[in-house]
Amino acid sequence: MKDNTNDNKAASCLPGGLMPAEQWTLPQTSVRRSLKDAIRHALTQLQAGVSQAEEPFESMDELPELSAAQQRRLAPEPDYAHQAEAIACSLKQARSSGSLSREVVCLVAPPFSGMQQALTRFSEPEQPGSIQSSDETWRVIAPPETLCFDDQEASKWWDRQDLSRPWVIPELADFWLRSLSGLALIRELFRRIANGDSGVGIVGCSSWCWRYWGHYLENAQMSPWTPAPMDADRLGAWFTYLASGSGRSTIVARMTGDGLYVLPLAEADDAENSKSRKKRKYSTFLRDLAATSRGNPGVALAIWQRSLRARPDDDAKLEETDDKTDKQSQAADCWVVPLGRLSLPSMPQSKESVTGFVLHGLLLHNGLDMASLEAVTGVSTYELSLVLSRLKRAELVACDPLDQRWQVTPIGYPTVRRHLQSWGFPLDQF
Amino acid sequence: MFEDLGVKDAFASITGQALLKAILVVVIASLITVAVQKVLPRVAEKLGGKPRLYLLASVPLLRLLIIFATIVIVVPILVEPSFENMVAIFGALALALGFAFKDYANSLIAGIVTLYEMPYRPGDWIEVGGQYGEVRAIGTRAAEIVTPDDTVVIIPHNKLWNSLIANGNDGTDNLMCVADFHLEANHDVGRVRELLRDVAFTSPRTKTWQPVLVIVFNKPWGMHYRLKAYPFDPKEQFQFISELTARGSAELARQGVKFVSVPVSVG
Repeated sequence: MKDNTNDNKAASCLPGGLMPAEQWTLPQTSVRRSLKDAIRHALTQLQAGVSQAEEPFESMDELPELSAAQQRRLAPEPDYAHQAEAIACSLKQARSSGSLSREVVCLVAPPFSGMQQALTRFSEPEQPGSIQSSDETWRVIAPPETLCFDDQEASKWWDRQDLSRPWVIPELADFWLRSLSGLALIRELFRRIANGDSGVGIVGCSSWCWRYWGHYLENAQMSPWTPAPMDADRLGAWFTYLASGSGRSTIVARMTGDGLYVLPLAEADDAENSKSRKKRKYSTFLRDLAATSRGNPGVALAIWQRSLRARPDDDAKLEETDDKTDKQSQAADCWVVPLGRLSLPSMPQSKESVTGFVLHGLLLHNGLDMASLEAVTGVSTYELSLVLSRLKRAELVACDPLDQRWQVTPIGYPTVRRHLQSWGFPLDQF
Repeated sequence: MFEDLGVKDAFASITGQALLKAILVVVIASLITVAVQKVLPRVAEKLGGKPRLYLLASVPLLRLLIIFATIVIVVPILVEPSFENMVAIFGALALALGFAFKDYANSLIAGIVTLYEMPYRPGDWIEVGGQYGEVRAIGTRAAEIVTPDDTVVIIPHNKLWNSLIANGNDGTDNLMCVADFHLEANHDVGRVRELLRDVAFTSPRTKTWQPVLVIVFNKPWGMHYRLKAYPFDPKEQFQFISELTARGSAELARQGVKFVSVPVSVG
């Protein structure tokens, strides 16, 4: 019984579970949508030199964006502890079915998938129901302060790590720098994994970093696993799960323009077996969102948060709902702005190569501070600060005030990826 | 002779109105061609990357289509398109071109051949007759390339018949660059190859999904290494080679591997 509950929770917070990376496919979209996106991208590039005023996001809708309280209620950030449980559960299933037999499993996910945050939770005592032996706790291996090592130093560093009990690396991209002395740690880790003397472990890795190392170590066959892509149904189920919190309420979301339903999903409605609900017409918003975000949950959530609208007086209503007991469930209404009317961040016009180096460097390393970015790109600090401030104004990058690391924003990721592709930079596979 | 060919009969039916119409069509076609040649390259520069190459390559193809469409429209306006008339007109045209404008016609025909054989397209990096540069435009008679020193070189298309044309990227954005290192012997060759490979892989300009190769030759004076890799944009090739050379040299010096130098004789 408890297993069933856990399985349901896992299915909700990690829809589709994990799958071998080579089976991953891009969520499908309509030809009309693809053409619209391509034309919009081309026009954005052409207009970049003409008008430079539209860098900050501008809402085209009359209804106000969600307040912080509304966002926490309707589209909150996921609980990564649950996601960690779901990952553990999925890995356990894969092992028991025989589709996963390696001692060290590599989990590759595009940026903002929440994989790193979830794997970090693996070391917490109640996490997770363990993959192989329930009495073992997982040890998180943190990266060293400095990443510049030669081969001997890297070998010594790994010797100091306890690999005899299950270990987890939440993000492999934190273990290297794209410089001559910054490759040794990962090279040594892969050597040990290939030799089979690294024990049981999980390596979480950003898809960009993985792609790079896939090219660098062309003969390494790691058979990575990845979260299933978020198609329309999975996105709908996930957004519903996030908004439901501990299951107190359901969410009803409708398009602002034509009133078509986005949530609840059509299947959930069918289960209710209500005639009036069967007559509902549904929007293609989730399908378009899945395609725009390339099945990436973090990006989809960021766009979802941007596209949601609620009336100002709904704030009070929502707070009341939170105060009520669990039994008094209540539907929370919100409105969704069509994707075509959202002005998502666009790329400012600047020297292509420098902007590309910066954005590509940030994605390869899952975020970098200024000094490391300078080492990786070869661009001077002065020029970097100019480029980063432009990209920040355009909402494409953001700096974490705690560790001063620059990162690409989830909302800007689709634009960044598309531009890097058209500039000829190496991309990830997702 | 022209009477024998039937040209006189073919053109006998041309009226002033038809002539005006034909001139109008040719003028419009010329304007469209000029517009295509001016506008598309500008749009292509804005787009960058692969779209730029595709758009640049479409310019000569569009011009060919316009020329073809113009002929198809103009000929029936001027003469009745019967078999005899066509033979007469094209026969006379061939004679005139053959005798009066032999070289010019040679280049024109070669120009048409380049449009479908595509030995070079706008955006390609080519070397013809010792001149290396990026193809900027393909005209009716000649192609224009811009050298790395920003000099425009006009290359008549008839070079196609008897010259060797080296094309670095052949319509794609994949252009292999080579950085040479001439080193003294007596060092760990395997280590140096590994190191040079890392130099390419750690350059932000490298297309990592393309092969990165380090080739080594044993020469009487020492070892000759060739580091081969692809930059993300063919336009970056000189920056790329410079960066590989500078970083490679610095690292080799740090590892204690020495470069050979040839004595220079002055005077």
